[in-house]
Amino acid sequence: MAFLEIDNLHYRYDETTALDNLSLSVDRGSICALVGPDGAGKTTLIRLLCRLIAPQTGTVSIDGEDLFDVATPLTDRLGYMPQSFSLYTDLSVEENLRFYAGVFGLTGSAYIEKRDYLYTFSRLGPFAKRRAGALSGGMKQKLALSCALLHDPELLILDEPTTGVDPVSRRQFWAILDDLRRAGVTIFVSTPYMDEASRADRITCLFSGQRLATGTADEVAATFIGSILRIDGVADADRLARLDALAGVTAQRFGAGVHLYLPSDMSADEVMPRVVELGIPRSAITERTPSVEDRFIQLMSGAGESEADNV
Amino acid sequence: MLRAYLGVLRKEFLQVRRDPIMLRLIFIMPILQLVLLGYAVNLDVKRIAVDVYDYDQTEQSRRFVQAMQPNDYFIPTAMTGSEDVRPTWHVPERFRTGDADMALILPENFSEELALGGNVTIGLVADASDANQASIGTGYAGQIVRQFNERELGIVPPLDISVKALYNPEGESVYYMVPGIVATLLTMITVMLTAMAIVRERETGTLEQVLVTPINATVLLLGKITTFAILGFIEIVIALTVGVLWFGVPFVGSPVLLFALAALYLFTTLGIGMLFSTMTSTQQQAMFLAWFFTVFAILTSGFFTPIDNMPEWLQAITVVNPMRWFMEIVRAIMMKGAGISDVLHAVYPLVIIGISVFSLALARFSKRVA
Repeated sequence: MAFLEIDNLHYRYDETTALDNLSLSVDRGSICALVGPDGAGKTTLIRLLCRLIAPQTGTVSIDGEDLFDVATPLTDRLGYMPQSFSLYTDLSVEENLRFYAGVFGLTGSAYIEKRDYLYTFSRLGPFAKRRAGALSGGMKQKLALSCALLHDPELLILDEPTTGVDPVSRRQFWAILDDLRRAGVTIFVSTPYMDEASRADRITCLFSGQRLATGTADEVAATFIGSILRIDGVADADRLARLDALAGVTAQRFGAGVHLYLPSDMSADEVMPRVVELGIPRSAITERTPSVEDRFIQLMSGAGESEADNV
Repeated sequence: MLRAYLGVLRKEFLQVRRDPIMLRLIFIMPILQLVLLGYAVNLDVKRIAVDVYDYDQTEQSRRFVQAMQPNDYFIPTAMTGSEDVRPTWHVPERFRTGDADMALILPENFSEELALGGNVTIGLVADASDANQASIGTGYAGQIVRQFNERELGIVPPLDISVKALYNPEGESVYYMVPGIVATLLTMITVMLTAMAIVRERETGTLEQVLVTPINATVLLLGKITTFAILGFIEIVIALTVGVLWFGVPFVGSPVLLFALAALYLFTTLGIGMLFSTMTSTQQQAMFLAWFFTVFAILTSGFFTPIDNMPEWLQAITVVNPMRWFMEIVRAIMMKGAGISDVLHAVYPLVIIGISVFSLALARFSKRVA
């Protein structure tokens, strides 16, 4: 049995269904990345896992124990970092750490030891006296992570920890997560960044409260149906529309370019001349191996269509 | 759990200390308000401007006017015109301009009739747009007439009344006000700060973070409440010190009893603050609700107007106002030296209100965070 087992979880806000019979499992000591567009149900799932809300139906077990059984002493095994910075901005770095340490019953030399250890990886030591509200985005996240790690949780739940953080800090943050995984911590992290998700052991794509795919980055990418042509250069609305209008293909904006998704029965050689006809130089067109992101875009557009059909 | 509780307490005090505006609000505002209110809310009526229309113009009529002057209650102005005394149609005009508050009219046969042993009626017109001053002023005038009867004419009425005012013989309204202000400040600070501090945790998301820790919401809540209870006590000490040292308000009763019952009162106001925090989602909403409550509580507490003067239905409402009972307790202990048995009738309602409000707030709070 996996460390974290989510089974048929269903959560509904008044009108909208946020999670639709979701099942998922995460192995001990692995990083599971949760990706999906806004409103996919990521935060709802995370808040359920933190027992902040209760589902209408479904079960979650952590290390074999029922999460929603209130008798389960869950909180000392779980570290949580909410999406928005939610430490005390008017308290200093050290005061925040100390408060949460006290909350977890960590005092005296045990606390000092833990604090100094956390300072070494977060590099927040020199800023100990600074108010949390005056920290940069990256430092805030590292402080929040430190507070979530004070009690050595077995399961770390992070809701978009790197949103709004600069690329360097993001890389540092993920390096810390890698270290934690090596130390045996199970990490459940949601992120809007596909490059980050690819660093996880397993990626789960959530869309409209449903799980579209789960697997390693390569596994997910391998399920891509068809092939891809990448067109570099300006991806303005006009070019995108003209490419999308080509029979049989779908055009998706992808970074600073366009990805043209070809169905399995269509070869690149077939499509290439038609693209060149649109006035795009041959040199700007390359064949591309599908990535996780491509697969997700494909899945999401597919899911979108089937949903439209149901209406 | 105790450790966690102490941790919350420590954190709350750090936060209070960190917020200079809050600190000022808590400690300087009460002193300022006490001093200001102590002077401004002065119901004593003195120096009433009286226009005297003396149509008699004799030695005796002047003596009557003089009789009004000691004590500072009245400031008579002789309304003599260029040749003779001005006609009384000037009275409304003088009231309108605010130059006079009352008019005293002595008829021209004043001393003549008195000498003959007849009945004389003098006129007293009061500007009752200030109802309080008018009624107190006419009362003073009645006393002066009685004294004049005795002294000048040797007439002692067969039935007399001997009035003795206990606890505040000079009728100093500041004695009466300071205990009231203490109760008001305590309510304002505790209800508002508690409601705002709890809502702030929800508003900034810190509550969510704390809820995913071994301490439960109740411990967090208790820590907060203790903090504001302590601040409330500091508040009382400041207010009483200023009241006693600055305004010379007598403190007859037992301070220990007052503090014990203040703790009971704080239990109700902190409960109300907590209840408000469960009914609002932003600090502004919490503040408005707390403000609205405080105004309502002050008006129905008997602070400015006696509860006995209120219509029956309003009197019935005041029963659920904890400030009404605490107001009574503070005044009774401070001014009359009341003991616990004297104020028990006000203690019971406080206990009932406190327990109901507190349990309701706790129930709503745990439901909202669940």
